[in-house]
Amino acid sequence: MAEVGRYYDGETGQRLTVEVTLVETGVLRLSHPELQNGPVPGQLDWPFDQLRALPDQARDDQLIVTLVADHSDDSALIDNVRLTLVGAALIHDVRAVCPLLDKRDVARGTGFKVVTRLGMAVAAFVLMIFVILPAMANTFANLIPIEREVAYGKTIVRNMERVFGGREAGQLMCSSPKGDAALARMVARLTENTPTNYDLNIAVMNNDMVNAFAAPGGQIVIMKGLIDKAKSADEVAAVLGHEIAHVESRDPTRGALRAAGSAGLLSMVVGDFTGGGIALAMTQWVLDASYTREAETQADVYAREMLGRAGVSTAGMATFFRTLEESTKGGPDLPTYLSSHPSSGSRSDLAASFAEMQSNTTSVINEDEWKALRSICDGHSKTGKVNKGSKT
Amino acid sequence: MSAQIHGRYHGQGQPLFWLYIKTALLTMVTLGIFRFWAKTRIRKYIWSATSANEDSFEYTGTGLEKFLGFLVAIVILAIYLGIVQMVLFFAGLNIFVDPERASSTEELRQIAAFYITFFAVFPLLLFAQYRARRYKMARTRWRGIRFGMESAAWGYVWRAIGHYLVTIITLGIMLPRQTFYLEKFMADRSWYGDARLEQDGKWTDLYAGMKHVFIGLAILILSGVIGVVLQSIALAMICGIVGYVWLIIGTVYYRVYAFNYLTGHKVLDDKIGFFSEAKTGTVVTTVVVGSLIIGALSAIVLFVVGAVGAGAFAVATSGAGFGGEPDMIGIFVTSILIAVAYIGFLLGIGGLSLVLITQPIIAHLVDGIQVHGAEHLDAIQQRSADLGADAEGFADALDIGGSI
Repeated sequence: MAEVGRYYDGETGQRLTVEVTLVETGVLRLSHPELQNGPVPGQLDWPFDQLRALPDQARDDQLIVTLVADHSDDSALIDNVRLTLVGAALIHDVRAVCPLLDKRDVARGTGFKVVTRLGMAVAAFVLMIFVILPAMANTFANLIPIEREVAYGKTIVRNMERVFGGREAGQLMCSSPKGDAALARMVARLTENTPTNYDLNIAVMNNDMVNAFAAPGGQIVIMKGLIDKAKSADEVAAVLGHEIAHVESRDPTRGALRAAGSAGLLSMVVGDFTGGGIALAMTQWVLDASYTREAETQADVYAREMLGRAGVSTAGMATFFRTLEESTKGGPDLPTYLSSHPSSGSRSDLAASFAEMQSNTTSVINEDEWKALRSICDGHSKTGKVNKGSKT
Repeated sequence: MSAQIHGRYHGQGQPLFWLYIKTALLTMVTLGIFRFWAKTRIRKYIWSATSANEDSFEYTGTGLEKFLGFLVAIVILAIYLGIVQMVLFFAGLNIFVDPERASSTEELRQIAAFYITFFAVFPLLLFAQYRARRYKMARTRWRGIRFGMESAAWGYVWRAIGHYLVTIITLGIMLPRQTFYLEKFMADRSWYGDARLEQDGKWTDLYAGMKHVFIGLAILILSGVIGVVLQSIALAMICGIVGYVWLIIGTVYYRVYAFNYLTGHKVLDDKIGFFSEAKTGTVVTTVVVGSLIIGALSAIVLFVVGAVGAGAFAVATSGAGFGGEPDMIGIFVTSILIAVAYIGFLLGIGGLSLVLITQPIIAHLVDGIQVHGAEHLDAIQQRSADLGADAEGFADALDIGGSI
């Protein structure tokens, strides 16, 4: 008994209800008086092994088949003829006799095309990220007038305060007459023999993080946690020297420019999918690390020389990095290429051997000044809530 | 063929849900590369579930061509975006002012400096939007006959920017004009086989669909007046909430109205007409019910995972390990389990919103469409293929269009 199917020749929108029979010679025979384009008028024979079913169909009460064609990777060129089979028995029979029904045909030369295009895309991406954008960032960083850089740096510091919960500018920044004087004394000592292009604006933020930041235009923030962790004023001076080095070589400005160029690129490549945000953050992190390692090494060199010229021992630098190394021991040991800073151990060793060559060094500030600096945040709350008396 | 045929949607929740989960997982495992194939498979499902007069639509796009198109787009966009964004950022920096001494105009300039990069990309977004629709049309078939759209993406970009500007300047009053002419621009360049589509109608007719938007706005203004004149904050709040909800539903009403009107006034080959009876109530109910179900399920899952996770952590860190030390392996395993649960949770939400919100709305729109003069469809001839140069590559790189 013959079953029926709906046939479309791919040339007109006309529907032909054709008779469909499975012939034992291995063909699916379509019969209809209007089928005139085959060798036998009124019928078409489709070999079983040339039938292909359309994939990912929503309906299982019908089966749409087409013929294998000279496949192209451009799907617009895929063959046009369609036959819709209905009826569970017919679908079952066709599935049983057609071995390659679900085969995905791939055009010849597809692999080559994928490889060449992939190569082009990767080349363009790598060229942009590692050559063109850094070079542009360098040029631009040197073109920006200093007062613009200062304005931008201040905005960044204010945004940072906002992130840590400060509602008004300066709310999280610690200040005491003696502490400020001690900090000023430290800066004066460091810059006495190493003049800077920028007016340094150094603030202590009331936060437990052991960290310090350099924003563009001479804006430097030291976290209170770092001062607490430091065993001597020389250790703080070492960190300060490092941050001043970043300011002087315009590293933060360069970093911001580079990020502006690369952020769009990265999110474009990674795309938007579940978990994409994590992938994006990780890529950005690895990229930043590769950019900044060299700058960090340079900043260490600058800081050592600055301390040397100021007659301050770099032994403090050595002990501070030693402490850092020990405090991160429990955590995962990142390979050097993943970490933005050189490993604390080697930094410590470099500072220690530099210190051995120094003579006639004195502490960067005296004991009283160091005490005043350590207590600069006394009377300040960590969120700026209590002493400002705001409700929330 | 009969003179009038109906649209019908055959898709079901369960198969689509699992198709989504499967493809989304593969996308995650391949760090996003599978997304081109994932999108293709979901579309194939939805297209094949859509039928008119029992003949299913077919989506012939492939993941491979999307991937290849994306690689081409990357080359062009990498250069354009990287350079343009940095130059604009530099220009922005140069108009930066000291935050402590900024006047209000200077602050405005500051904000402009921040958003300037967005405007560099905006024309490209519109370009990609047109190209994406063109690609979808070119890869859609019904009865083996291709749809198609003329290549006019830049023409669309300039017109769209003009219409957006006019709409913004007139505070949204010219929105119907924008809706109508942008759709007309695309519809008039669309084809089914050798038959051309045409958008009839008048843009002013769409104002009838704006009525609930205007009512919502009026209530919002009223709430402001109540707050100022009557000094009654409670009344103003109630009024404000009513106005806000009214405005949101009014927006949906406008979109549904515009869809019905624009569909009803399309003509194919001068002979074939359409009719659409989508209902705002159904769309809103679908979204609300779907969101409530997803929200409730999320809350339950979060609660259970949170409780189990917290319990496991408590056991692992309470010194159950040797020598009273925290059980590092226990913490590690728990963290992994929580991460897996979290990702499963995100996938689940994505899949549920597809089958509980997106698919039912598509089903509702499709089921409400009728075609008149359908006997003329038999005479339509195949059109030559539109080769997709970028196969939506730009749209994907610029992240527009979502999954379907």
